[in-house]
Amino acid sequence: MEKTNRRRVLFLNSVRTYLSKPQNVILLLFGIVLTFTTVAPIVAIVKDTFTIHPGTIDAHLTGKASGYTCVNYIDLFTSRLARTNLWKPLLNTLLLSGLSCVISILYGGFFAFLVTRTNLKFKKYLSSIFIFPYIMPQWTLAVVWQNLFNSNQVTGTANGLLAALFGFCAPQWWCQGLFPSAMVLGLHYAPFAYILIGGIFRNMDANLEEAATILDTPRWKTMLCITLPMIKPAILSTILLVFGSAMGSYPVPHYLGLTTLSTKYISLNSKYTGEASILAIIMMIFGVAILGLNQASLKSRKNYTTVTGKSGQLSKINLGRVGKYGAGVIFIVLTFFTSIFPILLFALETFLPNPGDYSFLYTGDMSNLTAKWWLTSENITENGLYGQMGILYNSTIWSAFKGTLLVAVSCSLIAGTIGTLIGYAVSKNRRSRWAGYVNSMAFLPYLMPSIAVGAAFFILFSNDKINLFNTYTLLIIAGTIKYIPFASRSALNSMLQISGEIEEAAIIQNLPWYKRMFRIIIPIQKSAIISGYMLPFMTCLRELSLFLLLCTQGFILSTTLDYFDEMGLYAFSSAINLILIVTILFFNTVVNKLTGASLDSGIGGN
Amino acid sequence: MKKNVLSLVLACVITAGSLVGCGGSGSTQATTAPAGAQETQAEGGGETGGESQKAQADSADLSETDKIIQEAQGMTMEELAKKAIEESNGKTFYGVGNSSRGKSALPLFIEYLQSIDPSYTMEYEWQQPKNNKIFEQLSADSLKPQGTFAMTLIQDGNQIESKMVQTGILKTFIPKEWAEANGTTAEEYEGYLPLQTLNKVFMFNNTGSAVYMNCWDFIEEGSHPLFMDIDSEIVGKNFLYMLTEDQYAGWLKEAYDALDADKQAYFAPVIEEVSADAEDLGLGENGKYALAWIKLWVENYNAQTDDGPICNTLVTSSATDQSGLLVYSKLRSVEESADVSKNNITVAAYQDGYEGIGGYGYCHYLFLTDNSPLPWTACAFISYMTCTEEGFSAWGKDMGGYSSNPEVMEATEATYQHSRGGYNEAGENEFDCENDRGYDWWTTEGKLVLEDPEYCADVSFTVGSWIEMLTKYADSAQ
Repeated sequence: MEKTNRRRVLFLNSVRTYLSKPQNVILLLFGIVLTFTTVAPIVAIVKDTFTIHPGTIDAHLTGKASGYTCVNYIDLFTSRLARTNLWKPLLNTLLLSGLSCVISILYGGFFAFLVTRTNLKFKKYLSSIFIFPYIMPQWTLAVVWQNLFNSNQVTGTANGLLAALFGFCAPQWWCQGLFPSAMVLGLHYAPFAYILIGGIFRNMDANLEEAATILDTPRWKTMLCITLPMIKPAILSTILLVFGSAMGSYPVPHYLGLTTLSTKYISLNSKYTGEASILAIIMMIFGVAILGLNQASLKSRKNYTTVTGKSGQLSKINLGRVGKYGAGVIFIVLTFFTSIFPILLFALETFLPNPGDYSFLYTGDMSNLTAKWWLTSENITENGLYGQMGILYNSTIWSAFKGTLLVAVSCSLIAGTIGTLIGYAVSKNRRSRWAGYVNSMAFLPYLMPSIAVGAAFFILFSNDKINLFNTYTLLIIAGTIKYIPFASRSALNSMLQISGEIEEAAIIQNLPWYKRMFRIIIPIQKSAIISGYMLPFMTCLRELSLFLLLCTQGFILSTTLDYFDEMGLYAFSSAINLILIVTILFFNTVVNKLTGASLDSGIGGN
Repeated sequence: MKKNVLSLVLACVITAGSLVGCGGSGSTQATTAPAGAQETQAEGGGETGGESQKAQADSADLSETDKIIQEAQGMTMEELAKKAIEESNGKTFYGVGNSSRGKSALPLFIEYLQSIDPSYTMEYEWQQPKNNKIFEQLSADSLKPQGTFAMTLIQDGNQIESKMVQTGILKTFIPKEWAEANGTTAEEYEGYLPLQTLNKVFMFNNTGSAVYMNCWDFIEEGSHPLFMDIDSEIVGKNFLYMLTEDQYAGWLKEAYDALDADKQAYFAPVIEEVSADAEDLGLGENGKYALAWIKLWVENYNAQTDDGPICNTLVTSSATDQSGLLVYSKLRSVEESADVSKNNITVAAYQDGYEGIGGYGYCHYLFLTDNSPLPWTACAFISYMTCTEEGFSAWGKDMGGYSSNPEVMEATEATYQHSRGGYNEAGENEFDCENDRGYDWWTTEGKLVLEDPEYCADVSFTVGSWIEMLTKYADSAQ
């Protein structure tokens, strides 16, 4: 009896000791919460693959209107449509994701190298402008691509700008399919590569490269044997992030005519609902596989501990007088087309008489421009606006804007806070398996394709017990879960840099935990923590794939934008793009002024 | 065999991790009869489906909405309006539909109610989901004890029947005045309540030399007509299903016979190639012509995201010789400019001597949700839209949409004169393509293929699966 009591006391004491540390409470709490929020949607979507849906193929094949069956798996993998519905989209998805990685790493990595390791000119401007494609919704570049390269001769549509002005007709493979989709996604995610690889380039100790130079090692060998291995972790991180994101991208392949698992999910959903859910699961499996790769790469990073960020040695390569200006000008031109030109095109589009009607350019007749898309205040008489009111009076756009702000601010605050706490707790218990588990659970949703996560949340929260379809609550839940990794990764990396002695000194002074956080930890890593809030905010503002299945258009700006783009009402979609860009820049500037933190801080000319 | 085993193994592995806690799975036999009879066909395009309404009336355990519908079907619009005022004053009305015009009709309806009770107010929200999401949205909403949406305006009779009506999610209400105008009664009428028939018509850009005098010309070698992707807008698929129906397959055969020998020689091998499939699918004697046309259409159409971009393309001067099948009313919003003109296009069926189908007609149907939060108001709104010219004006002011109520259709034409829609104030025929020849012309001389939900549901897993085996133009380009 006494022995049992002693055991109980010991157990209670150990529990009390464990819970006396805030990081343990955080890990326990979020471990449980994240297990549910990550696993429950997966279980729900797996269940859906076995459920019979009225009016779909499973009901037809089984002759039943409800119940469970394996027929969706059998039909998807073995029917005559397997190639069309599964294998070809899967191959396209893998090719698209792989190519997007290559393009983003080459473009973003090379730019990061030039900015951080050379005496390139116009760095500050280029560094700011380079991240614009990431700010903009990804498919807007796809629409710009179409507006530029489409031609009657090749795509069988009206002429785009290049065909209309110069008679240039780009080939089919350039206009539609894998290449343009990969280019657009590659350009969209190049800022990822720039920020991640640039961060390492900037902090990299140049002593090793200099030693190689002294030993007369050829420059290419230095690059291959020293520089590349040093930035390998950043390249791997970029691959992991871009691969998962590109795989779950719906709008870009949709607009550029490439059949991927995401687009197939949408097109199958009406008649092959259960089989579409299997596609979502396949995408999720890739997410889990990517997480495994990520873990492996984390282990391998032990080999590169020379990247400490402590060295003051950073020599810059001299590009020469012509080179530093020449390279600068080349990137000014490139970023003009990826960042400035789309914005100019958006602005112009809102003054065209008909969508895509640039006739004023070749006639010089300015009367062909109109302000009707902005100023029309009624939709009773026909004004060529397809029954819509002008942008300034369009209640759909402005209520969607409010909704978007609500979702983005909520996701940012919740995901940012949870992520920061997880990052802190994991850094404190870095050797604990439970901490590793919580960290993985927090990161997993990010690696799972957005469309699959959206589908899983739709199924989980559309039942007779909890029905959150088309509510801001659902969007905030999905957004928070999806974007916690932004904050947790950012916080974890920064917290690992803080020596435990600092906090221990405060503990000796008997400072409570919240004071240690607010007075010591957060101020030291302010920049990284604010990034953990800013990235979810910015990504949430223009997220479509994740929210596509969770609400209707008009609910938030990205779905409204997609709706107008699909309808061909480019004036409205362009205006929404402008609203989004201005909003993101406004918040980025405000945060930058208040805290000194910004998305590209620490890499560019700052 | 290997794949079978693989899929079964995969299925089992995933099941093990997921089915725990799924609960019971009592399965019920599906009612395989897809759509009911359509004996009482409403004038104005009332394609119908399902014996659901009759079953609804006969059922011993009627839902609250069923009971309200039964009562409402015997009431005049004014009586319904009073009930609506009583029910929804100061509340918010949520509607969902495939047409954005519901949003324009609602304020007019509120004005109408305010003419009866000036103190009446109602907020409203109208949603228009794309990509077939309306069915998911209504299915999700149906799970709530009280739904968000009071009613819906929905297209695609095939999915309506199998996903919405057979499952009891949507309920049909037949307004008294509408039934009277169509020479029937709510009890006798079987089928859904159509608000209007819309037509998608063949058009082409006439700035070049291409000639489209026969519906087979659109699928000739090198022709890539613009069309909304059939997986994006399912009514497009229904159009293809309908072509295999005896009457429309016969029209295709007649059009084929009218082709010259060279063109017949081009199409003949394809017709021959699919003739065995037509037999296997149990189609009529002209089924092979339908399948051949469908095959070439699917393998050649240039998929677009919406009819809006198709229209925007066809009216530009650079879209020389391009063609498309698109909603006729899209022409309404084209603004003339140096590069864009409605005179750049020709409506194929308006040409003298044109042979074959001129387009496709499908309906927008009106339903109450079974868990409607405002059923009386929904009934009154439906009645207002189908029985008054003003209520239909949100759609009626544009060409290409024809009220299912013959009285409203007539009044709308008298007010808006769509048959002379292309005439300018000086009385000159400025834009011939805008002179809408009307529902009667389109369904006879214009050879509009009309959607039949019952037929579509019947063939969706036979002809439908056959269509899915074809390689779409967009896919072949990849």
